[in-house]
Amino acid sequence: MVDPSINERGNQLDRLQLFAVAGLMFLGAAFVFSATTASQASALPWFDQIWIRQIIWYAIGIGAGAALCLWDYHTLARWSLVIYWATILCLLAVLIPHIGSTHGWGARRWIDLGPFQFQPSEFAKLAFILAAANFLSRPPDELKQRGIFWKGIGLMMLPFALILKEPDLGSALVLLPTGVVMMFVAGTPKKYLLKLGAGVGILGALLLADVLFAPPALQIKMQDYQRQRLLVYFGASFAAANATPEQKAEARHLQFEKSYQVRQAMISVGSGGLTGAGWRQGSQTALGFLPAGAAHNDFIFSVIAEEEGFVGSLVVLTLYAVVLFTGLRIAGRARDRLGKLVVVGVVTLIFSHVFINIGMNIRIVPVTGIPLPLLSYGGSSVLCSLIALGLMQNVHIHRRGY
Amino acid sequence: MIIFDELKKNDPQLRLIAIVIAVGLGILLAGLWWVQIVSTGKYQSHLETQAYRTVRLPAVRGKILDREGRVLAENSPRYDLSLYLDDLRKPFAAAYEQLLKQAREVQKQTIDARQKKLGHALTKAERKQFAFTTEELQQLRAQARWEVADNLVSKIGRKLGQPLPLDAKKFERAYETRLALPYPVLPDLDETQIARFEEQCYDDPGADLELQAMRVYPFGETAAHVLGYLRSDDSSAAGEDAFFSYRLPDYRGVEGIEGEFDSQLRGRAGEESVLVNNLGYRQSENILDPPEPGHNVVLTIDLDIQRAAEKSFVENQGPDARGAVVVMNVRTGDVLAMVSSPTFDPNDFAQKISEEKWQQIQKLTAEKNRATYENYAPGSIFKTVVSLAALENGLDPNEIYRVQPNPENPARGMIYVGKRAIKDTAPPGDYNFQRAFIHSSNSYFITNGLRAGIENIVRIGEKFHLGERTGILPGQETRGNFPTEKRVHSRDWHDGDTANVCIGQGEVAVTPIQMAVMVSAIANGGKVLWPRLVDRIEPQDPASGEATTNFPAGLVRDELGVHPRSLQIVRRAMLADVESNEGTGTAAAVNGMQICGKTGTAQVQDVKNQIIGWNYWFASFAPYENPKYAVVVMVESQSRGSGGTTCGPMVHDIYEEILKKENSPAPVFARAN
Repeated sequence: MVDPSINERGNQLDRLQLFAVAGLMFLGAAFVFSATTASQASALPWFDQIWIRQIIWYAIGIGAGAALCLWDYHTLARWSLVIYWATILCLLAVLIPHIGSTHGWGARRWIDLGPFQFQPSEFAKLAFILAAANFLSRPPDELKQRGIFWKGIGLMMLPFALILKEPDLGSALVLLPTGVVMMFVAGTPKKYLLKLGAGVGILGALLLADVLFAPPALQIKMQDYQRQRLLVYFGASFAAANATPEQKAEARHLQFEKSYQVRQAMISVGSGGLTGAGWRQGSQTALGFLPAGAAHNDFIFSVIAEEEGFVGSLVVLTLYAVVLFTGLRIAGRARDRLGKLVVVGVVTLIFSHVFINIGMNIRIVPVTGIPLPLLSYGGSSVLCSLIALGLMQNVHIHRRGY
Repeated sequence: MIIFDELKKNDPQLRLIAIVIAVGLGILLAGLWWVQIVSTGKYQSHLETQAYRTVRLPAVRGKILDREGRVLAENSPRYDLSLYLDDLRKPFAAAYEQLLKQAREVQKQTIDARQKKLGHALTKAERKQFAFTTEELQQLRAQARWEVADNLVSKIGRKLGQPLPLDAKKFERAYETRLALPYPVLPDLDETQIARFEEQCYDDPGADLELQAMRVYPFGETAAHVLGYLRSDDSSAAGEDAFFSYRLPDYRGVEGIEGEFDSQLRGRAGEESVLVNNLGYRQSENILDPPEPGHNVVLTIDLDIQRAAEKSFVENQGPDARGAVVVMNVRTGDVLAMVSSPTFDPNDFAQKISEEKWQQIQKLTAEKNRATYENYAPGSIFKTVVSLAALENGLDPNEIYRVQPNPENPARGMIYVGKRAIKDTAPPGDYNFQRAFIHSSNSYFITNGLRAGIENIVRIGEKFHLGERTGILPGQETRGNFPTEKRVHSRDWHDGDTANVCIGQGEVAVTPIQMAVMVSAIANGGKVLWPRLVDRIEPQDPASGEATTNFPAGLVRDELGVHPRSLQIVRRAMLADVESNEGTGTAAAVNGMQICGKTGTAQVQDVKNQIIGWNYWFASFAPYENPKYAVVVMVESQSRGSGGTTCGPMVHDIYEEILKKENSPAPVFARAN
């Protein structure tokens, strides 16, 4: 697409990727606006309106991403462990009742900073990518050592466990593919990766079997809503096999309630058809069937899909495809393994978010509260996404010359 | 393209990642294609079911008009005070917050008290038992809603000067099942209340007046049996959409014209779709299918004659007397008046009728249309039929017949049929046809009836279609009773039975409408007509371009096929019955109109053959020279009287009114619309 001769001039940004990112930000602002003002004109002052806030976060994010490009990513990598441990501290702080905020939801994911809250788990993902890239960029021979492999695993599992404890299953889970892909690209021996893959697979299968089929006494401890989300996804009954008819009826009712969001998201997406209802014409948000708290957030995609139809979905997927594949191109041109690993980590992270988030809108994936990068409303998510893109551009700027 | 560039990369690891990402995006794309393109219909219908409610909108019911366009039944606006629950959402929420706050206070106090008692802070598990359950919260919400609604309603009640109770249970049920519709608080506000509401409550959100059409019969009891009444019924008529989330109140005609022409009057209900939000509150509404107004039914009834007949009946017999009047045009078969007494006010049915009024109607069997729906022995008016049979079969009207005196009462005659003695009210002496007719001599008509033979009487009766329905109000008419040829040829038919028929008793029973048809046929020269009650059915809006259905007048059902001379002899005898001093029907005479009539009295016997009452009849037509009107009056009575004295004055009043109308300058064709 882009003439390589332009890129040869050095110190250039990857413009194609930036165009795609700009497109996503435009869509994000437009549909956060649509999702939050569809029912009635908001009574909030303009600076408190959610879509304005989103634009402000875009601006801050662009600033942060651009600022990041001022330093060579090697400088950043040297600080990676400091950043990593700082975010680990934040993750620990979140778990302390008076510091962490539940934001009115069941999980403790936010740290209250007066006018805004920030979500350390988002930053932890980035910090993990930097630290892991730094750690894995050592000579490939060292990666064959068992100790180094387990250290790498430990680097991944620490934030994973802390985020899981919040609990934020979705954010925790995206760390796994990110870490594994980075290890794979770094050149970790296949046998380790296969073992890791098999181990994770067996653990996952056991967990699922336990949730779906085991009698209550043998089930592992899990948050109710997490178990229910899994049951909803697999269409399994909430009631135990030996439940009385009343219990079963109650379970069915509960199941109906719990599958409400997915059902409404599916109705939104499906009713969009080919071309959709038109911007701000979607009835699902306006009438409140799509919960007002989620529409501009984790379910922003269903708003786009309802209002712009399959065409809109295609545009969104295309923009993400551009971001991801330009990312891979940057990875291929990176000056060294460190740069390649950082970019691969970011690409995998963004892809995981996109796949899980859109997948849950069409019931390919169970519901997990995970934002759609750049489209979903949320300061931490927007900021981290733009910083991650800044990292990619940083690697691109400092790529090897041809 | 960049995707293919990356897939062809020679870095195997990046290539694998590129493949995985491409496959992942491909899966999403396929999934979205499946959901948004292939199954979009399914999700669109889900969207509609959860976001739309359909409401059945009844059509404006057609009017019922008299032959001159005067309104007998119409719709008038009715204002109901209703609560619009969607406007009350904010107050509901605020009240709930308030209640929740109070409940939390109480909860906190109990926990504190418990902690004090235990001497330590409660653990999480211990706290749990004080937490609100979902049911308690639901209850709080319901309570909040009811308090808000009750406050609003009682505030409005004070302004209207009428206490307005709000039933908590009913309100909650309406909230749960009919949230998208207004909740009715007070039906049918009077003018003062409407004015007060408009002045003082216009800015109260959540309450407003709702306009509804109410059926009104401006003349009350007038022609009640012809018009019929409505009953509340919102079910779908045949051919209508049967599935609605809600139905607005609608009515169905059950009796009379309202019942008979219900499908034409009621029109076709329409459909409105109401867009609701996730809580079921109304967001907006859209009429999908406008209702088609019903058609007007124009009757042959003449309001003036109808009211004159009713007035005369009540004045002469009182409102509780049982009887019927039919006035008919002898040339067209148009029913100009049809009265049945006792009567009722169909306005009482438009609202739910009170138990007391219903009991009264039941006690008097007032709902029955006695002009069509009850069998009566015709008594002597049947002698007109016997006369025709005898005259057609060789009776010389000038032939003298001697009535024998009754040994027990020598001033009156009697006759033996076999061993049975039948009394005759005519005094003994010599009678020709006309004298026997106006004295209504039983002896004369039994003798000549027997002479003509029962078969000939039956044949004439069949020409009059006695024992058959006239078709005037299907489902609200009896056939009457008349022996068939097979019956009179059977072995247990005796001369006594023939003698009974000759004086209009025994196995003959008629309805007043049948008698009106009979008299008309005698008057008009032998044409037995189909009586007609409905002239036409026309669209409410003449500009609508919808077709008008006309019901042709003067449809001939049968020709009597008797000699004109025979009819002329009977007509002259009927004239004499009213005009001559000896006649029984002199009370009906009117100055300026030659009236022909025949009176009758039939005994009503119970199963033990005890006389329990009489039916008094007066069958008439006028004018003699050029007959136009037939008037039949029948009164059921427990007291002694006669057709002439009981019914005659009513016949008189009715012809007076007819004469007044005939003589008045051009009738005013007021078309009420």
